[in-house]
This record gives sequence, structure tokens and C-alpha cells, in this order.
Amino acid sequence: MDTKKLSKDKLGEFVAVLAKQNKLYIPQKEGENLKFKPLSGDQEELDFPRITTVPPKDVFFPQTETLYRFEQGGTDISFPKEEEEAVVLGIRPCDARAMAIMDSLFSWDIDDPYFLNKREKTTLIGLACLEPGVNCFCTSVGGGPASTEGLDILLTDLGEDYLLQVLTEKGGKIKLSVEELLEEAAEDDLDTAEKLVKEATSKIGRSINTDGIQEKLPELWESPLWKNLSNSCLGCGICTFLCPTCHCFDIQDEMEGLEGRRCRVWDSCMFEEYTLHASGHNPRPSRRERLRNRINHKYSYFVQNFGKIACVGCGRCIDLCPVNIDVLDILSQVVKEAI
Amino acid sequence: MKEQFEPNVVAFLCNWCSYAGADLAGTSRVQYQPNVNIIRVMCSGRVNPLFVINALQQGADGVLISGCHPGDCHYIEGNFYARRRFGLMKELLDYVGVDPRRFNMSWVSASEGNKWKDVVEEVVEKAKEAGPFEQFRRNKINW
Amino acid sequence: MVDLEKLKSIAKETVSRDDVKYLIGWRQGTYGFRVSPHFVEKPEEAEELIFSPLCTNNLASYLVLPEKLPLPRGVEPDSRKVALMVKGCDSRAVVQQIVEQGIKRDEIIVIGCPCEGVIDLEKVEERFPNQLESVTAQWSNGKIIFHLPEGNEEIPKEEVLATKCLTCRYPNPVLSDLMLGDEVETWGDEKYEDVKELEAKDPQERWSFWEEAFSSCVRCYSCRNVCPMCYCEDCILDRLNPTWINRSNNASENTAFHLARAFHLAGRCIECGECERVCPAGIPLTKLNRKLSKVVQENYEYIPGIDPESKPFQSSYRPEDQEDFIL
Repeated sequence: MDTKKLSKDKLGEFVAVLAKQNKLYIPQKEGENLKFKPLSGDQEELDFPRITTVPPKDVFFPQTETLYRFEQGGTDISFPKEEEEAVVLGIRPCDARAMAIMDSLFSWDIDDPYFLNKREKTTLIGLACLEPGVNCFCTSVGGGPASTEGLDILLTDLGEDYLLQVLTEKGGKIKLSVEELLEEAAEDDLDTAEKLVKEATSKIGRSINTDGIQEKLPELWESPLWKNLSNSCLGCGICTFLCPTCHCFDIQDEMEGLEGRRCRVWDSCMFEEYTLHASGHNPRPSRRERLRNRINHKYSYFVQNFGKIACVGCGRCIDLCPVNIDVLDILSQVVKEAI
Repeated sequence: MKEQFEPNVVAFLCNWCSYAGADLAGTSRVQYQPNVNIIRVMCSGRVNPLFVINALQQGADGVLISGCHPGDCHYIEGNFYARRRFGLMKELLDYVGVDPRRFNMSWVSASEGNKWKDVVEEVVEKAKEAGPFEQFRRNKINW
Repeated sequence: MVDLEKLKSIAKETVSRDDVKYLIGWRQGTYGFRVSPHFVEKPEEAEELIFSPLCTNNLASYLVLPEKLPLPRGVEPDSRKVALMVKGCDSRAVVQQIVEQGIKRDEIIVIGCPCEGVIDLEKVEERFPNQLESVTAQWSNGKIIFHLPEGNEEIPKEEVLATKCLTCRYPNPVLSDLMLGDEVETWGDEKYEDVKELEAKDPQERWSFWEEAFSSCVRCYSCRNVCPMCYCEDCILDRLNPTWINRSNNASENTAFHLARAFHLAGRCIECGECERVCPAGIPLTKLNRKLSKVVQENYEYIPGIDPESKPFQSSYRPEDQEDFIL
């Protein structure tokens, strides 16, 4: 592994070089909303928030994505233009792990070219999480404040400098392009970074033991637990739209004049419309079934299919739920519940 | 350029008064601008506020809603509801920054062919002054 | 001040009744300052009930939220009453639901809680970050006392109250079957300052303001779902035929969505501020709703959610309604 150091004074230059050669995504404000957006013009000051409100999944899996365009009466279709090389800077390890989780989904039985092309052309430069938030529980689901899964380069804030660890070939290419800004890392820098990460890990206050949850969830199918938990659920899409691993989409045709497009848009299993059949029948008729499905999908079905939990412990769903439906609370009740 | 701009005005006319009024203008050979696209509805009270939003989204530069004079409604009180509703709509559109000249409402009775002409002239003139509507047109954003 | 012991005994008594399905109240949440709606079905569950400055949720939404599922043949619908704890603003939602016949007066039992203002979670979490342990709070002479693990903190309530509470006109429930505690004195007055401030700007500035706000929308529809007045069984946002608003997320569709939402609440919004509280993107939705409230109040002298006998604003009219805008 290649380890270098980047002085914070040179961060501006570092960003400028990256932005010149690639489409550079960094966390930015849109209204009051924090999301990863392409850097346009001059960014006055770089500020990496603990976590963005909208997870960086929307770089690869945009909320609205054109699949192809068509014309009324015609038989030709045209595809959106190829994506350019991109870099995502300042992604947190949990969100990067989420991308690795989504990879397995989008390359499952049929490869999804829209998603995978973008993944292939994008380098993820992560930033180790030294100040975990109150609802972080990444260590419980296989991650950690400096987890490298899904990342190409990991930066760790050492105070004056960033420790830069190259993790993949893609990361190596990016490193080459910024070589002259980097310094050699000293032996004790690595130790410092390790110490900082350890400290951060110890600051994570919430946890859950996920052993056996996968098997237990289907057994609790008819448990009154779900009714009680979903009583207060509003049925909104916050927990799913803003989840870094949620990946459901809906396909819609839109027409304007004689031109049209087929696009995919995010969909949420918490919406009534999600499972509604054309006949009017709805197999998940109430919030009870929808909440049950969300939990089952993340901690049971996905594990069955891919061998990993579809949750990275970023805490967004807990932070943002307006009625305090707390996934850790749900799981601990699941663990406690007798069958 | 601005002189050449021909606005596209969508007009919702009630079947009993305003549509008949416009018809009268036609049969009386009253000349007026062709920028108005008329959509006939049964009553001005039938006009859903979403029609207005949707028209603006799909490329209208101005919207006109026209019904019977108060008290003349074929359905007794439909236009009273419309008046309340679109009084609010006008304020809402203005508040989000849409040019207030784009949204108009009028009372035109079946015998007012000449008033219809005046209304159209005024509405088209206002839409022309306001210019092409771009604020939340669909315009194939990110296609 | 609401006496908690009294609240619990009333709650136990209420849910023990045969004709009561459950009581909806608040309980301490799973961490920090969070509070969660609490559905009390058995008397022993009443022990968890609280009423404090942390109780922000408007529980009136839960009167209209449950799905009306088809029943198996021979099964009678559950016609038992629902008991509900309300603050001043929540009670207006209940009144408005009664006005619109969304619920019937005899289907509910309203337990009124005079309220001295609830917190703005964002302001409080900023002041006391990273609270993992549950924190309780109480009102005390114009201050709010937070019982933090490291000791009590007293803060003047103006500093942490939700914005809507600073101008609250109805701290006491306008409708209730029984009241917990004495009425509190009204401290606020609604002058719609924030709306006037925006009105004073020029149209282009107003549009840039809203364009940025609407663009940040993620279309999670939490503002719709949390709203006690949004309970159409068939919502235009869920419809595909006709598709009023496309599912794609862009400035045009988002603007149409927010205008439609605001307009559907014209003359109905009771300004509980829930939409803005739940919005993950921080869109200033109440600024939009309150504009319409202002117009309805100033031009039509109508205030929704006060009188259960009144007629809904948009399905009534006065012959002398203003028409100076009509050509």
C-alpha cells in the first residue's frame, strides 16, 4: 500500500488539479440541503461535513436518470451521453461501503450498465471519520470509522496534514496526477492515524449485535411488534430516500410535445403506491407491512442473497426520522422478542 | 427581439357565458389577437388550480380564466368559488415570484363579444410585457 | 403546567373504557431530546406518557393516517373512539378535520394540554450536541429546564422555542373534552413578519429564493404525510392517470408539487409547522403556507381551525368577496 501525506495548505491546489482532470463531486449546500454535487466555479472554502443529508449514492444512482429518449411515432431511441471520469472527494467510509453493497445488487443477475459505468469511471476519495455522530453504529454492521471497503483512496485528518493511503489501482492513477503536491509519510504518521481512528471508534456510542437477526426476522413475521412499531410511522420516504444503500426505483415515461424519455426515479417501499397492483390490490396494504419489509430487506433478505447486511450504520434514518422510529431500537426489540 | 415575441396564452372559458361571448365575438367578425388558446370547461368553478400550474409548466406564457358575472352562473354559485380560489392562486403565484401579469381572470357574459376582445387584448399585452415564461417550464430539464 | 400523575390516571381510566380503542400521547424517545408518539392500548402503557417542551409532534395526524383496509366478510368495523392529547395548535387541526368531516366529533376524545411552547430540536441539539442518554425537559417561569446527564440547564425559552411558537396565538386548546392543567397566558401575536419580509423583495429575488428551496427537495413526501390536513385517500401525487406531477425530481416538477401542496392547504393550514420540522432538506415550507394564511385572514377574514361549526374556506363564499383582480 502506498502511503503519502498531503499538507492542508495544499488542499486547495489538490482540489483544483482533481477538478481540472475530472468531474469532481464534493459535499455542497443546495438550499439547506447537503449533498454531493459537481464542483462548479470556485469553491470558497472546503468544508467536509460529518455526513451529507443526501447520501453520495445519487452520484451513481441519481434520483432521476434518463435511460433513453424516443420520439412519438418513431422507432429510434437515443441514449444519454457517456459519463466522464469523475472523482468523489470527502465521502465517508460508511457511504463508500454502501457503494460496495450496491455493486453486488446492480451486478447481480443482470448487469446494470447505467450504474456500473459510473462506478467504473469514478474514483472514491474517502475521509476517515474522526468525529462520529450520536447515531453512528458502523462498527456493528461490519464497518468502521476508517473502513476501506469501496474506497480507492483514504484520507485521514492528522491536524496539519492529511495522511493519504492509496488502496486501489484507480486510486494510484489519481495519486500520480497529484504526485507533486504530496510528501512522504513518516512512520509515526501512520501510528498517529491509527491512534486517532481507534479513539474515534471508541467514541461510537450505539451498537447492536446482529448475530442471528437474519434467521430471527422471518420467524417474527406475524409478531405484534410490527403493528406497535409502525403505529407512529408516517409512511414518508425519508428513511429510504436518504439511506445510502436503498436502491429501489420506478420506471416512468415522460413526454414533452412529440419527444419523450424513459427515466428511472427513486422509489420507496414505504410508499403505498410501491406495491399497488393494477387491479387495485395491495399486498402490503398498511404501514405495518411496509415497515416490516424495510427491516426484513435490510437485515434478512439482502443477507440471504448477497451475504451482507444492507445497512452501513450511518445513522441517517435515525437522525432524520420525524417520529423517532429508531432502527437500533427495532432490532433490539427483535432480538428480545420471543418467538 | 422582444417586439417579435408572441405569447402563448391558455384560456379556460365557461361553457355558458365566456365561451358564448367568444363565439359571439367570432360571429360578429370582431378582430382580436390569435395568441389565445381556448379550452372550454363547463364552469369557471370547474377549473382546477392545477390546470394553471400545469399550463405554465407545459409552455403557457399566460393563463386566463373567464366565467359568468357574479350572480349569472349557470350553476348558481360556481363562479363565486372560482373567484375565491383564484384570488388566492394569484397571490400565491405572485409570492413565489411569477409575474402577476401572467395570471388573469375575467367575467365575460354571452352578450359581451366586444368585452371579450378587450380582455384578450389586455391579457395578450400583459403576457407580452412579461415575456416568455421560463421559471418553472418543463423544458426537458436534465434529459 | 400539566400534572403528569393526573395525566397518567386520566389516561389509564380512558383506555380502560370499552368504547376506547387507544390513546395517542407522547413518550420519551430512544435517545437525546427525541420524543415519539405513544399509542396507549393497555392501562400499564400509560406510565410512559409525558408532556414536556419536547413534545413537538402534532398527533392529530394520527387520526387520519391509519389505512382503511377492506374487512373480511362478517367483520364489523372498529367503531371505538380514539383519545388524543393535543396542544393548542394540534387542537386547531382537530377542529379543522371536524369542519371538513374528515373525522366526527363523537369518534374522538380530546385531552387538552395547555402548552407554553415546544422546542426547535435543531436549536437544542446545536446547543447540546451528541446527547445519547435520554434528556427530559420541563417549563418553569418562562424558562425551559433540560435535565442533562451532567446536570440541569436552564435556558430562557425564547432561545430554544420553535419559530412557530414565538408567534403562537393559541397556546390553549380551542377544543377539548377535558383539560390537563390551567390555561396559560397567550404571549405571542401573529404579524406574519417573515412573510412580509419576503413580500417586500422584488419578484426575481423571490423566485431565486424559492427556486433554490424547491430544487433541494428530495420528494420524500414527509411534508404531505405528516400534515394533519393532508388526508385525501387519492392524492394527486400518487396518481398516474392523469399524471399531474411527474415523478422526476427537477426544479419544474418540484415547484409544481410545492405550489399544489401549498394551495391545497389554503384556508386549511393551521400553522402547526410540522411540514417544515420534518423536512430533511430544510425547505422553509411554512413561509409558503403562511402567505396563504395571511391572505385568507386579511382579505377574507377567515381563520381555519377555530370554530367547528364554520364552513371550509374553499367550499364557501361571500357574495362580497374581493374581485379587484378580475378584468
